[in-house]
Amino acid sequence: MQNNGYLRIKEIAAMTLLLVGIKLSDSTPALLAQKAQNGFWLIPLLSFICIFPGFLIMLYLLKKYQDKNLIELMEAITGKWIGKGIGIVIFLFALLTITFDSRNYIEQIGLLYFPKSPTIVLFFIFIGIVFFGAKKGIEVIGETSWLFLTVIKISASLVILLSLGEVVMQRVFPIFGSGITNILTEGVKKASLFAELFFLLIAYKVTKASSMFSKGIVIASFITLFEITLFYFVYITVFDYNSIAKIAFPFHDLTQFINLGNFFTNIETLFMVFWLFAAFLKFIIFIYLATWIFGEIFAIRNFEPLLLPFSFLVIMIGQLPFNSIINELILREMLLTIMSPFFIILPYVLWGIAWGKGELK
Amino acid sequence: MVRFLKKSSESPSSIEKKKVYNSLEKNIQEMKYLFSSNRNKDFSMRSLKIKFNNKEGCLFYYSSIVDGSKIDMHVIKPLLENEGNTVMNVVSIENIEETNEFSKVIQYMNSGKVILFIEEDASTYAMDVADFQHRSIFKSENEPTVKGPQDAFTESLNTNLSLIRKQLHNNQLINEGIQIGKRSINEVNMIYIKDVVNNEILEQVREKLNNISVDSVRNVELLEQYIEERPYSVIPTVLYTERPDKATSYLEDGFIVLLMDSSSACLIVPVTFWSFFHSPEDRYLRFLYGNFTRAIRLLCFYLTLMISASYVAISNFHSEMIPPDLLLAITASRERVPFPLIFEVLIMEIAFELIREAGLRIPNPLGPTIGIVGALILGQAAVEANIISPIIVIIAALSGLSSFALADLNINFMVRLMRFVFILAAGAFGMLALTGVFLLFFMYAASVKSFGVPFFSPMSPHFLSPEDTVFRKPVKKELFRPGYLYPKDIQKKSKS
Repeated sequence: MQNNGYLRIKEIAAMTLLLVGIKLSDSTPALLAQKAQNGFWLIPLLSFICIFPGFLIMLYLLKKYQDKNLIELMEAITGKWIGKGIGIVIFLFALLTITFDSRNYIEQIGLLYFPKSPTIVLFFIFIGIVFFGAKKGIEVIGETSWLFLTVIKISASLVILLSLGEVVMQRVFPIFGSGITNILTEGVKKASLFAELFFLLIAYKVTKASSMFSKGIVIASFITLFEITLFYFVYITVFDYNSIAKIAFPFHDLTQFINLGNFFTNIETLFMVFWLFAAFLKFIIFIYLATWIFGEIFAIRNFEPLLLPFSFLVIMIGQLPFNSIINELILREMLLTIMSPFFIILPYVLWGIAWGKGELK
Repeated sequence: MVRFLKKSSESPSSIEKKKVYNSLEKNIQEMKYLFSSNRNKDFSMRSLKIKFNNKEGCLFYYSSIVDGSKIDMHVIKPLLENEGNTVMNVVSIENIEETNEFSKVIQYMNSGKVILFIEEDASTYAMDVADFQHRSIFKSENEPTVKGPQDAFTESLNTNLSLIRKQLHNNQLINEGIQIGKRSINEVNMIYIKDVVNNEILEQVREKLNNISVDSVRNVELLEQYIEERPYSVIPTVLYTERPDKATSYLEDGFIVLLMDSSSACLIVPVTFWSFFHSPEDRYLRFLYGNFTRAIRLLCFYLTLMISASYVAISNFHSEMIPPDLLLAITASRERVPFPLIFEVLIMEIAFELIREAGLRIPNPLGPTIGIVGALILGQAAVEANIISPIIVIIAALSGLSSFALADLNINFMVRLMRFVFILAAGAFGMLALTGVFLLFFMYAASVKSFGVPFFSPMSPHFLSPEDTVFRKPVKKELFRPGYLYPKDIQKKSKS
């Protein structure tokens, strides 16, 4: 792994924004809207409140145990074998998230733009590109993320700007949708919307100074939260609750909905280009991080050759769900629900053990 | 074969050790043998009786590369007439070197010096009377500017150096010579500002030059290929320019310039993407005007790289994106064309490259003809024969024309080559493959390093710099030298 100290706050922030922030444009809204109806735009807010203190504790622990990344930290706190055990769980979570998410993205691409192409071909093309991108290493990934972030965010802002005309504010009421209890339970259950933040911790030592990593990731988390909430709010006000639960890919529906003046009426391909950049980069970052976690657990210093088998694995597992509905509404929902308590509790447990061992002084 | 190789490599080493004899007769014999005097027509020798020590002497030189009148006036005449006690005090030549090795003698002879052997003297005197022929200074033809100095490098090291020194009055400007080549020993001149340039990069370049182990490197164009790190890469890592003002501006920032006697251009290392993207005129033009040209150039970069590929992708896979009226127009124009769209685009792109290459090689008097033939056949006849649709002509012309805005030859080739990759990708899987391939190309570029400098710095990874990337700041606000070179003095101008 290269480390020339080229990565700084903005590169880390860019990676975080792409990895977590792209949730605003996949089928997560549909998933959330199933139960919470038009209150679902509040769920990310609640999830964030649930998961972020724990995340800050993780950053605090990493700062205390200097020169360690996520896996090394857990091994230092809980002992070698338990640490590795938790590491494997995290790795499996990461791999499954990649798999379900990528299937989800492939379905989006296939359904919307290549209806005649078989899923497996799209899968191979998509993950193939992701694999070659990831091979370039974390520094190039970070730099590319930063360089592409501007155009991606400009196009996202343009979507918001153009859709403002369609917004009907009254659709936000009743503000808690199907009821406040529903929103609260969903908020906690889907706290793992931000689970990617934890996977990013493996790259803790990659920046020039660790403080840059913490700053970048914290700043980016807040921006992400704002973005996601904003977009979900726009979805709810443009589509209303009945249709949002039925629309699988609200971002793409939104881009099909909007016009740029009277002449350019079908500009979804324009946004699709930037969305594709974001999607490629998300999976490039994600698969690199997952492989890195695996490499850390089994003490494989030169883990980059493992990218190939894992990419292949992602394609193969991604093929298993029968269709996108099962993939999205059953498997992914289940994964999110399982991951949430894990990531909410993990930091406190680690902190408790470390405190108990008296290593925090 | 092995024996043959061994034998041939032995002979130069025996010369290397040979010392100059005390006897003039023997020395003359040796020189005649070394330079094959009976066959070599421009090898000249002249015997004379030296007045100041009253001994026999003999001069050797290549008549083709020395200044005859200079030898006459400043070497032969003083030796024949003047009094004095040493050779240095007698001849009126600015540069005299003394040596007692034949290997040095050979080197001096080849670099245009006259060699003086004296009876009962075991050392020789090499006097610089070189007069290599070269062009005079012309206008820069390959990198023209409207505003800015017009002179270009020419095939003479001293002239080129003087063009640089004229603009950079600095005693720290160093011109370091490094000899490369085994059979023909040529000199590469490494030019840098000593109190700015980073020592590690300098050492890296020096090492690269010293490690070149070939018979000869004739000029910087070949040198470029010897010092680059990735010969198979599509992305260039050495900047090539014929403009002295461009070279000087890079020197000021802490870059290293390589010059050779036989090239009308120089090499600049290390480089970033921006060195290829910029033109010196961007800086000579006022802030807004300069940035406007940059914006145009960025557009050209996009157009030449992507327009054909985008057209293929959109009309093959995403035709719903095209506004209905335009879509109908495109369809109508393609109605009678039998080929698939991607094939049409490829025909036209290759045809354009053909015209370009042929136009470059064609003898001058025939130049206009090819223009007419090319335009007529490809523009009109091909359309009328329903080989291609008129819209493709527009697309190909746009992409071909835009490529000329990228003045640097290396980046120009990179873009022209990558264009075909993008067209094929777009033809295979529309925007999905196109964005993917572009992203991979971009990431590959980001991973390229030129002498340790990342290709997209200072944009990412970030460094202190004049922030001269896509756009530039007003000249007054540029405070720093590029930090990615780690210069010894990063402050260009103090804040005030």
